[in-house]
Amino acid sequence: MTFLRTFLVVLLLIPAAFDLPARAQQPPPQQQDEFIPIEKLPPQDQLPAAPLLVAAYSFVALALFAYVVSVARRLGSVQQELNRLESELKRSGRT
Amino acid sequence: MPKWFTPAVVICGLMFAVAPILIAEAPYESTMGLVQKIFYVHLPSAWMFLLAAITCGVASVRYLFRGNPRQDRIAWSAAELAVLFGAITLVTGPLWARKAWGTWWQWDVRLTSSLMGWMVAVAYLLLRKYGGPGSDKLAAGLALFGMANVPFVYISVNYWRTIHPTTNVVPTLPTSFGVPLWFSAVTFLLLFVLLLRMRIRLEEQRTRLDALYLAMDEHR
Amino acid sequence: MFARIVWLVLRKDFTVEVRSLEIAYTTLFFAISCVLVFAFALVQEGRAPEGGAAGILWIAIAFAGTLALGRTFERERQSETLRALLLAPAARPAVYLGKLLGIVALLLAAEILLVPLVTLLFQAPLLEHPAWLAVILVAGTIGFAAVGTLFAAMLVRVRSRDVLLPVLLYPITVPVIIAGVRATAALLEPQPDAGIIRFWLALLACFDVVFVTLALWTFEPLMTD
Repeated sequence: MTFLRTFLVVLLLIPAAFDLPARAQQPPPQQQDEFIPIEKLPPQDQLPAAPLLVAAYSFVALALFAYVVSVARRLGSVQQELNRLESELKRSGRT
Repeated sequence: MPKWFTPAVVICGLMFAVAPILIAEAPYESTMGLVQKIFYVHLPSAWMFLLAAITCGVASVRYLFRGNPRQDRIAWSAAELAVLFGAITLVTGPLWARKAWGTWWQWDVRLTSSLMGWMVAVAYLLLRKYGGPGSDKLAAGLALFGMANVPFVYISVNYWRTIHPTTNVVPTLPTSFGVPLWFSAVTFLLLFVLLLRMRIRLEEQRTRLDALYLAMDEHR
Repeated sequence: MFARIVWLVLRKDFTVEVRSLEIAYTTLFFAISCVLVFAFALVQEGRAPEGGAAGILWIAIAFAGTLALGRTFERERQSETLRALLLAPAARPAVYLGKLLGIVALLLAAEILLVPLVTLLFQAPLLEHPAWLAVILVAGTIGFAAVGTLFAAMLVRVRSRDVLLPVLLYPITVPVIIAGVRATAALLEPQPDAGIIRFWLALLACFDVVFVTLALWTFEPLMTD
């Protein structure tokens, strides 16, 4: 218990240990002065967003689906094994 | 499975069907445009990742000091979910960053500590799978150390100059962005609860199986 | 009583080690080989990469440390002395602390050899501020060893312990390594900024306290069967 108390006290003292002040602000976005057609931008800025967006959402869907299938399969095989064992025990007669 | 499970699955499915509509109707963000819409899955996944890590940590502490086997099952299930949602966060983030920051990855505090936290979760699963007997308590110890990482991940962006958006963004979200975000977050939370419950059931069945094998051995 | 147990464990480890010096020699040699491999891999046209020295030093410490931890507890496992230690009427945290100090001493000895070697091979002015460097090294080593001792001890009876130790250890100790590297790199600047060094040292101190406290707290339940 003493260790828990010590730990909590130290945790509270952690912010006091830091010298540098908090830097939370992001620089404000640049104000646009003029309109530039997209072809004139450097190649990096011309990156189309749609493939990235589609890739992101597809990955989410795939990952979640794959996990659900994985758990369901494992559950199914364990359940099968359980049923098999229980019927075996019933046959051989449980005391 | 408990009675609330099937209705909850139906509700969750419906919410997942409605969410894209809300997301599509949300306005474009001024500087990032279309790619910002990844936000609506990236942020809830990140929250679920942190929630899973905390769940695993708390359950591990309780297992380590009280020995309640149910806590061990919760901890293992939560660790798997942490790997799942962590992976989603760590993939959707760079896909967004590629367009928004011009680079796939930055070694700033938030990204580095998230990656490390995710690796701790993977290490937990490896230990459970390959550690053999006794690895349940050891994994609990590992999860404890990993949980110390969580508050660090969350507040790190506020104390270090970093390219990642700070925690100030969410509280100041305009409603047009907020509605799809919170809807998406609740959907993910419901999914998290369902997946956790399902995974815990798997552990419960495994425990019953082990007990049955043990009983069979004793009868011979 | 607590301090006496710590001292007894430390003295036992030291006595056993001094007889054969097996772990000391192999760890030192491994650390040196590590640095040499980096030197061969990274030196181009006779010049070392900019600012690589800090990272290489800490990587060598991390690798050598993992090796030393594995070997130390392997020796305990083979002689079954760990079980004897745990059965003894001694406070478990004291046993942990004794083992921790032994590992720290071993790693510091390795670092005393590594620092001049890295200075030489990578032309890095590591020895310009020896006091600062010593503090950074001690703080980082304690943080790394605190987690390492706990994990190595708890893995003693686990299968695949050799590969699992690095797998478990590195993600947890990455913050310590990062802080150590940043502090050392700041020290290597032509005009070291005391503020930055103090910042990273404060972070290292925090990690040390957190890790040692957590380890002391969990050593008892983790080492019980």
